[in-house]
Amino acid sequence: MNSTLLLQSALAGITNGFVYALIAIGIAVIFRGTRIINAMQGEFSLIGGMVAYLVLERLGLALPLAAVGGVFAGGILGFVIELTLVRPTRKRGGGEESYLLLTLGVAFGISAAVLFIFGRDARLLAGIGGEASALFFDAAIRIHALWLMAISSLVLLLLWLFYKRTRIGQSMLAASIQEEGALTIGINVPLMRTLTFLLGGLVGGLAGVLVSPMITIHYEMGLLLTLKGFAAAILGGLTSPFGAVVGGLTLGLVESLAVLSFASGYKDVVAMTLLIVIMILMPNGMLGRRMRKGG
Amino acid sequence: MAEPALAAATGLRAGVTHGRVWALGAVLAVLWVCMPALASRSIVDMLVFTALYTIAGLGVSFLLGQCGIVSLAQSVFYGIGAYSSAYCATHFGWPMPAGLLIGIGLSATIAAVVGWPVLRLSGYFLALATLALAIIAHVLFTEWDGITGGTLGVGGIPPISLFGFALNSPARFYFLVWPIAILLLWLHYNLLHSRTGFAVRAMRDAPAAARVLGVDIHALKVKVFVLSAVLGALAGSLFAHYVSFVSVDSFGVDRAINFLLLAVLGGSRTLAGPILGALFITMTPHLLGRFGDIHALLFAVLLIVSVIFLPQGFGGVAAQLWQRASGRKLEPKP
Repeated sequence: MNSTLLLQSALAGITNGFVYALIAIGIAVIFRGTRIINAMQGEFSLIGGMVAYLVLERLGLALPLAAVGGVFAGGILGFVIELTLVRPTRKRGGGEESYLLLTLGVAFGISAAVLFIFGRDARLLAGIGGEASALFFDAAIRIHALWLMAISSLVLLLLWLFYKRTRIGQSMLAASIQEEGALTIGINVPLMRTLTFLLGGLVGGLAGVLVSPMITIHYEMGLLLTLKGFAAAILGGLTSPFGAVVGGLTLGLVESLAVLSFASGYKDVVAMTLLIVIMILMPNGMLGRRMRKGG
Repeated sequence: MAEPALAAATGLRAGVTHGRVWALGAVLAVLWVCMPALASRSIVDMLVFTALYTIAGLGVSFLLGQCGIVSLAQSVFYGIGAYSSAYCATHFGWPMPAGLLIGIGLSATIAAVVGWPVLRLSGYFLALATLALAIIAHVLFTEWDGITGGTLGVGGIPPISLFGFALNSPARFYFLVWPIAILLLWLHYNLLHSRTGFAVRAMRDAPAAARVLGVDIHALKVKVFVLSAVLGALAGSLFAHYVSFVSVDSFGVDRAINFLLLAVLGGSRTLAGPILGALFITMTPHLLGRFGDIHALLFAVLLIVSVIFLPQGFGGVAAQLWQRASGRKLEPKP
C-alpha cells in the first residue's frame, strides 16, 4: 500500500467524517434539547438538498440563495414537525418508542413523498468551486470538501457560542435538563423544545446543501445518513456537538481504512457494526462524561 | 381470513347477539374455503402474501407488544429463511424440510448470538441497532453472491409438494399457508397465557418486580427475540418455495419497515392484529397500484396517525367494536 493511496483515502475519510459530523450535530442538538432521538435528521438534509436543487435549477437563482433556501427549508420542516406531531404525542403521554416510531414514520413519509413527486432519479447539486480540486501533497481533494470542513467548523463554533453565551441557548438547555425548574423561573419550555427542533432542522438543511454535491440527492439518502450520523453522535456521547464532530471524523476514517482492506461494498457493514459495538461497549461515547439513558 | 375481527365488524352491522357470532365465524370459515374458487388469481396470490406476512409480522408484533422492543431486523431472518431454502433446494436438491430446518436453525442461532449482546440495549438504541442489523444483512446478502446470487437472485426453487401433490398455484399454497398462520396465532395466544407468558408480561409492566421474583429479564428477551426470528425464517422459507425465485430486493430495509408497520398498524397487543396489519399492507399497494408509489406515503401517514391516535392499532378498534356488538366484555388479550 503506497502512501499516496493512504493519504487519498484518509482525505476521503475526513471529508465523509465531516458529512457524518454535520448530521450528528443535528441529532445531538435535538437530543440535548428534547431528549428525543430524531430518526428523521437525514430527511432534513434530503429536503434541504432538494429545495436548494429546485431553487437553483428550476427557479434559476444563484447558488448562495439556493443554499439559504435549503437551510431554511430544513429549519421550517423541523419547526412544523415539532408543532404538529411531536407536541401532540407528548400531550398524549407517548413513551420513548412512540417518539422513535413517530420520527421514523415522518422519515419514511418524507422519503415516500419525494419518491412520489420527484421519482427515483438521483440529482446532483452544484458544489462550491464546481468540480475543481486542490492538491494536498500527492492527493487531490475537492474545493467543495474544503468548504464543507470550514463551514462545519464554523457551525460548531457558533453552536458553542449559542449555548454558552446567549440567553435563548441557555434557556433551551435548562428546559431539557430541569423542566420544572425552568418553568419556575419563567422559561417557556414548550417553545424551547420547538426552537430546538427548528435549530436541528437548520443544521440538517445545511448538511443537505453541503452533502448533496458529493453524494447526489436521492429519495433514499436520508435513512443511511441518519444512521451514520447517529453512529457518529453515539461515538461522541450524543449530547455534545463537539463530540459529534470527533465521532464523525472517527467513523469516516475507520470506514475509509476499511475500504482499503475489504471490498468497498463492506463500507456500510463496518460503520453499522461499529455503531452496534460502540453502543454496547461505550455507552457514554469516546469522550464519555455524561450518562445517557437506555445504553 | 381475519375471522375474529371481521366477525366483530360484521357482527356490529348485523346486530347479532353473541351466540350467533359463532355461526358467523362458521360462515367466514366457509367463505375462507371458497375464496380461491371465487376470487381472481391475483387476489388469492395477495391473500397468500397476507398469510406469509402474518407469520413474519407475528414475530415483530410479539417483540413490540409483549417486550416493548421495536425490531427492524425481521427482514434479516426472513432473508435467511428464504436463502437457506433456495440454496438447499437448488444447489443440493434436498427436500423442503431440510432447507426449512436449516433456515430456522441458522436464524435462531444468529438471533441468539447477536441478540445476547444487543438486547442489553433498550429503547431508541436497541431499535437503531436492529435497523443497523438490517442494513448489514442487506449488504451481506448482496455481496455473498455465491450463495444468494446477489442482485441476480436464485431461481428455479421447486414448489412444496405434500403427498406427491405439488403446491404450485396460489390456490393450492393458500390452503397450506393459512392453516400454518392460524396455528401459529393460536400457539402464540396459548404461550401468552402460560407461565412464560405471565413472566413476559411481568417483565413488560413491572420489570423490577419481575426481577425480584426471579425472572431473568435479559434471557427472556433473548428467547422472545429467537422465537421472533424463527417465525421470520419460517415465513421466508415458505415465501421462497411459493415464488420460486428470490433476490436481494425482497430483503431490504423497506421489508423490515413493512413488518414493523404491520405490527404497529394491526395492533401489537391484539389477537387479530397481525392478520389485519398484514391484510392492510398487502391489499393497499394492490388497490392503489395505478397511482404509482403512493402507498408508501399512505403507510407512513398511517404510521404517524396510529402512533398518536391509535396506540392499539386496527386490532384495538376491532376489539372495541366486537365488545359493543356482542354486548359482552371480551377477555382482553394480555
